[in-house]
Amino acid sequence: MEGDQLWYEAAHLVGITNALNVAADGLAALPEVTAVLPLIAEAGASGAAGALFAEVRAFYARADVPSVFRFLARDPAYAADVWAATRRAFGDNRLTRRFKEALAFAVSLTSRAEWGTGFHLAEMKRLGVGDRGVMEVIGVTQMFSSYTKIADTLQLEPDMGDIAPVDDSPAPGGSPR
Amino acid sequence: MPTVRLRDASEYPDPARKLFELSKSWFNHDFKHPPAMSRVMAWDPDFGGPHGRAMKRAMAPGEWSRGEKEMVAAVVSGVNACAY
Repeated sequence: MEGDQLWYEAAHLVGITNALNVAADGLAALPEVTAVLPLIAEAGASGAAGALFAEVRAFYARADVPSVFRFLARDPAYAADVWAATRRAFGDNRLTRRFKEALAFAVSLTSRAEWGTGFHLAEMKRLGVGDRGVMEVIGVTQMFSSYTKIADTLQLEPDMGDIAPVDDSPAPGGSPR
Repeated sequence: MPTVRLRDASEYPDPARKLFELSKSWFNHDFKHPPAMSRVMAWDPDFGGPHGRAMKRAMAPGEWSRGEKEMVAAVVSGVNACAY
């Protein structure tokens, strides 16, 4: 996993995954919230919301639209930008979409995000990850949830930062330094 | 600053020092001193032993490569806001 591109992709994915989880669990799943700010109905959705819903259904190959996108679609322009970032972050690039779903599952599990854990688990399975692969991600997530807390409890200082080689390539489209 | 004094490798018994040598091959890096986490886990072999074996099982190549698993570990550490 050498080269900064992979890590930039991973970081973008972690960010947008967390953003979706915040809105999914913190807003779209709460009846107290949706009573005041209702989800946009899928049936009959037209215009920007309808177009967004069609893209979401196609990207995830499913008949329904996850409630988080129906919540965000209350502001169609905002929702379209969040969706564009989501689609970009999860699309095949240097990291595969299949692996990105595994990362998103690990992020969601670590942050106890109920919607994201179930959603990304289903996406992993849909994209061909087997039971063994799922358990491997769970194992790594659990073990490093242990190591991180041990390190934090003892306030250990990083001592392995110089293992990784430095990537001297420029930013995409930029010039070498 | 760690809340405990991290002991030098020389302050550990032989079995632990052998494990420190193994950590060099695990990380493919010639550490000057064993990583702090290795020294913490070696403090109690009855805890560090099975914990380390579970970690090695989890990180071994399978459906995902070791590199992919290191990335999963990195994002989990990031979500846990752990700088170590």
